[in-house]
Amino acid sequence: MRTNENRKYIIALLFVMVSLIFIVRLFYMQIIDDKWKDRAAEISENKIVTYPARGIVYDRNKEKLIANEVYYDIYVKPKNVKDVDSFALAKLLDITIEDYTEKMNAARSYSRHKKSEFVKLIPPNEFALIAPELHKYPGFFEIPRTLRVYPQATAAHVLGYMNEVNPSDIEKNPYYKPGDFIGRIGIERSYEEVLRGKRGVKYYLQDALGRPTGVYEEGKYDTLAVQGKNITLSIDAELQAYGEELMSNKMGSIVAIEPSSGEILCMVTAPNYDPNLLVGRRLGKNYSKLQEDTVQLPLLNRSYGVSYSPGSAFKILQALIGLQEGVVTPNASFSCHKDLVGCHNHPTAMSISDGVKFSCNPYFYYLTRRIIQQGKTRSVFKDAAQGMEIWEKYVKSFGFGVGLETDLPGVGRGFIPSREYYDKVYPPGSWAFSTIYSIAIGQGEVNANMLEVANFAATLANRGYYYTPHFIKDIEDVGIPEKYTTKNYTMVDTPHFKYVIDGMWRVVHEPGGTARRARLDSIAVCGKTGTVENFVLRDGVKIQLIDHSMFMAFAPKDDPQIAIAVFIENSGFGGTWAAPTASLMIEKYLTGAVTDTVKENRILNAEFLEKVEAHYEKD
Amino acid sequence: MRRTSEDNVWLNVDWVVLLIYFLLVSLGISNIYSAGYDTEQQGLFDFSAEHGKQIMWIGVSLFLGMIIFFLDFAFIRKYAFWFYGFTLVMLLAVLFMPAVNGAHSWFGFGSFKIQPSEFAKVGVSLALARFIGDVGKSQFEGRRKGVVNMGVANLWGLIPLIKKNIEIVLIIGIPCILVLLQPDAGTFIIFTSFILVLYREGYTGNFLLFVLIAVVIAVITLLVADSSFIMPFLKIKLSGKTGIVISLMILSLIFYLLIRNFVLKRNRGPLYRALIGSLVIAVVFVNCIEWGYENILQEHQKTRIDLLLGKIDDPDGDGYNINRAKSAIGSGGFLGKGFQQATLANANQGHVPMQSTDFIFCTWSEERGFIGSAGFVILFTILLLRIVIIAERQRSEFTRVFAYCVGCIFFYHFMINVGMAIGLAPVIGIPLPFFSYGGSSVMAFSIFLFLLLKFDAERKVVLQ
Repeated sequence: MRTNENRKYIIALLFVMVSLIFIVRLFYMQIIDDKWKDRAAEISENKIVTYPARGIVYDRNKEKLIANEVYYDIYVKPKNVKDVDSFALAKLLDITIEDYTEKMNAARSYSRHKKSEFVKLIPPNEFALIAPELHKYPGFFEIPRTLRVYPQATAAHVLGYMNEVNPSDIEKNPYYKPGDFIGRIGIERSYEEVLRGKRGVKYYLQDALGRPTGVYEEGKYDTLAVQGKNITLSIDAELQAYGEELMSNKMGSIVAIEPSSGEILCMVTAPNYDPNLLVGRRLGKNYSKLQEDTVQLPLLNRSYGVSYSPGSAFKILQALIGLQEGVVTPNASFSCHKDLVGCHNHPTAMSISDGVKFSCNPYFYYLTRRIIQQGKTRSVFKDAAQGMEIWEKYVKSFGFGVGLETDLPGVGRGFIPSREYYDKVYPPGSWAFSTIYSIAIGQGEVNANMLEVANFAATLANRGYYYTPHFIKDIEDVGIPEKYTTKNYTMVDTPHFKYVIDGMWRVVHEPGGTARRARLDSIAVCGKTGTVENFVLRDGVKIQLIDHSMFMAFAPKDDPQIAIAVFIENSGFGGTWAAPTASLMIEKYLTGAVTDTVKENRILNAEFLEKVEAHYEKD
Repeated sequence: MRRTSEDNVWLNVDWVVLLIYFLLVSLGISNIYSAGYDTEQQGLFDFSAEHGKQIMWIGVSLFLGMIIFFLDFAFIRKYAFWFYGFTLVMLLAVLFMPAVNGAHSWFGFGSFKIQPSEFAKVGVSLALARFIGDVGKSQFEGRRKGVVNMGVANLWGLIPLIKKNIEIVLIIGIPCILVLLQPDAGTFIIFTSFILVLYREGYTGNFLLFVLIAVVIAVITLLVADSSFIMPFLKIKLSGKTGIVISLMILSLIFYLLIRNFVLKRNRGPLYRALIGSLVIAVVFVNCIEWGYENILQEHQKTRIDLLLGKIDDPDGDGYNINRAKSAIGSGGFLGKGFQQATLANANQGHVPMQSTDFIFCTWSEERGFIGSAGFVILFTILLLRIVIIAERQRSEFTRVFAYCVGCIFFYHFMINVGMAIGLAPVIGIPLPFFSYGGSSVMAFSIFLFLLLKFDAERKVVLQ
C-alpha cells in the first residue's frame, strides 16, 4: 500500500504542473506577447474615414475649371459570394472571364471575410448600367469615390492632373495612404494641400457583425474632416480656349498677363491635350501615349518649359537701359550700317522711338555698345566686363533669367549671360562687346521663356514694375500670398518708358511698322515683333530652318489691361503670324468678340506642324 | 463533550473549501453580470438576465446543500447505487428528447433545461466510491494482483485486469457509452478522469507513463496522418502512418538488441513478451487513432484538432472561436480592461462566442488581466489541492474515492476549459466549475462539493 499512498503526490504534482503551465502561458499571452492586443484591436475597433470633397477650381469669371465627379469601385467579399454566374458578371463589369477568375482567386487568398477591390474606377455613366444588376451578385458591392473632371476641357498644362500616390509620396508625407490620390502637376499639385483638405477619422467599437456599438476611448483619437478649399484662378477660360483654338496645328505658346495685378489670364501651349484624358482608368494608357509622342511633346509646357532667343523684343530693354544709364538720349540717331549686322530696308532711325519702330539691328548694336563699353576704363576688355555687370543687373531686374516664383511646379527660367559666364567661355580679359554683340538684338547667349517675355510686356505696360505672374486669384477664406501683391520695381525709372512705348505703338499703328497686322481699329496696341533665327547644326553645317515668329504687346496703350507674348515655332516673320494672333487675343479679351474674321480664319487655318495621328482613350 | 464535537457536523466542515466555493460563485456572478452589461442595465436580481438566473441556480444549489447536510451519511452511502441507477435512466431517457444543436443532451422544462450528464458524473462517482469501498482492502488486493508489476504495456496483462474488475469497467463504461450516443464528447472526456481516481487506488502502475507515451504517439500520428514522405535512398513514397510504424519497429529492434546484450538470459523472456506486446499495442493504437480521426470524429472536431496542432490557420474562419478567445485573453494585459470594459468577451460585442458558458474565462481574463487570470488559476489549484488533502485524511475508503472523483472531475473541467481558452487544448464545450453560466452544471458541481463537505465533516464518526 505504500506505493499507492505515494501516488497522492503524483496527482497533486499533476495539478500543480498544469496550473503552472497555465500561469506561464497566461503570462506570455497577456504581458509579453503584444500580438493579441493588436489582434483584439483589429477585431473590436474600426474607424470611419471621411474623405472631404476636394476643392473646386474656378476661373476668374467663376466658371468651373475643375470639378468633382463620383466614380465607383466594385468590391467583393468572397464569403458572401454565392451562385454567381461568373460569365454574366464578367460581361456586366466589362472584363474577361480570365480576369474575373484571377481577381476572384486573389480576393479569396487575401481574405474570405474582408473586402477586396475588384474593378476600379467605373465612370458614372457606365455604373448607371451596372447598378440595377449588381444586387443579383451577392458579395459584390460598390464604393463611390470622387475623381476630377474638367468641364472646360482646357488649360491641361496649367491645371495638371491627379493620380494614385506611389510609395515615395507616402514616404515623404505620411498623411497619404495607399490608394489615395495626389495632385501630380500643375495647379493640382501647387495647391494640393489647400484643395485636399484633411480627412477625418472616427474610431468606434464594433460587434462581431461589424456594427458599431460604442465610441472608442471617448473619441480621444478622433479627428474632424477639414473641407478642401475652393480656389479661383486668374485664368479666363474663354480666352484660354480661344488661344488654344488659334494655336491648333501649331507649336508654340501664348501667355497673357493682367499688368495691374500680375494675374495670368491665359497660358496656352501647343500642341496640348484634353485634361479629361488623364482621369480614371484611362489615365495610365493615355499618359504613356502622350509621353511616347516625342515629335510634338504634348506634355511639355512651352510657356515656361522651353526658352528661346527673345529676338528683337529684347531691343526695347536695351533702349531702356541706355536711357537710364544716360548713354543715349531719346533722340539718339545711329545709321543703319548693315556691315555690322544684317538689317532690312527702312528709313534711318532718328530717335529711340524710330529705332523700336523699324527694329533696326545696327541701331541697337550701337546703343548696346554704349551700355557695355562705357569707356570708364582704358582697357576695352575691362570696360566690357564692367559694362556687362551693369547690363546684367538691369536685365535681371526685369525678371529675366531669375526664375519667376509663379505658382506652378517646375517653372523654368531663361538665361542671361553674365561677366562670369563670358569669363568662363573666353579667357578672362579677352572678350569685349565686339565678341558678344549678338545679345544686343536678343540673339546669341540670351534666352527667355514666354512667361518672362509676357512679364516684360506687363512691366512695360506698368512703366517700370511688375507683379510676379501668378494663377491664384483667391483661396476661399484665405486670400492670396503676399508675394503676389508686392510690386517688383525695375532699375529703370518710369519717365524713360514713354519713348519706347511710343515706338511700340508706332510698330503697330504707323506705316512702315513691323507689326501692322496687329492693328486693331478701336484699341491702341503697343507691341514689338521678334523673329528668331532658327538653325540646326547637321554634320557641322549650319542649316537655316524657318524662323520662329514672336510678338509681345500690351493694350490699351494708356490703360493697359492685358500684356501678351505669342511664340509660334517655324512660322516665319514675327509680324506675319505672332502679331495678328496676339491682336486677336487682345480684342477677344478686351471686347469679348473678334471683328476681323478674315484675320481670324487666316490664323486658324495656318498649319506649322506635321500632323501626328494619336488615338487617345475616351469614355 | 467529545462526542458532541464529533457529532456536530457544522464544526467539522472544511471552511477553506466552503470559502473558496463562495468566492468562486460570487466572482462568477459578477463576471457574468459584467459580460452581459449594456447601457439599459438590469438590476442584480433580474431573473430574466443570465446573471439573475445564475443567482437563482446558486440559491437552488445552496438549498440542495442544506438537504445534503441534513441527510445521514449512511443513508447517502446506502442509496449510492440507486442514485447511480437513476442517472443512468435519465441518460437513457434523454436520448429520446429532441435534439438541440444536434445532440440529445437536454430535458426541456419550459425555458429551463436540465442536462442529465452533469448529474451522471455525481452518480458515477457515488457508485464507484461505494463499490471500491465495499470491496474492502482484503479482496481488493487480489483484484490488483499480478497487474501492478506486469505493466499495462503487456497485452496479455490487460485481459485479466479487465476480467477481474469487470464491475468497475461497467460502472464507468455504461454512462460513457450513453453520453457518446447523445453525442457529447465533452462529458465522455470528463468520464476518463475516473482513470486518475483508479490510479490513486492502485491500478495500473505505469499508467501515467503509458498515458504520456500514448499522447505523444497520438499527436505524432495526427500530425502526419494525411501527409506522405519519400524514403531516403529508396525513393519510395510512403504514407505518414507507415513512417510511424517503421519508426516503432526500429525502436523495438533497438530495445531488442539492448535486452539481448545487457540482460541476463533468464530474465529476457518476460521482457521480450512485453516488447512484442508494446509494439503490437502501439501499432494497433496508431491505426485506431488514424481510423478514429478519419471516421469517428465529425468534421468540426477534426478541424479543432488540426487548429490546435497548427496544421491549419484560419483566424476568421474555422479558427474564429479560438482566435477571438485568445485575443480577448491576450489583450487583457497585466491589470485587465476593468469591470464591464471587455471589448471582445462581452455579450453585446459578441466577438467571443459562448462567452458566458464555455468561454467565460475569456471575460474574466480580459477584464481582470494577468492578475485576475493567474489569481483564478491559483485559487482553483488551492481548491484542488485542498480536495486531495481532504481525501487523504479519510478513514473511509468510500469518502476517499469520492473525494478523488470530485478532485479529478474538477481538475479535468479546469484543465480542458482554461486550456481551450488559451489554446493549449482542443475546443471542447464543457463548463468551468462555478464560473460558467448554466443551471445543471452549477447544481451538479455544488452537489459534488456539498456531498464532499458532508462526508468529510463526518470523517471522525465514520470508521470505514
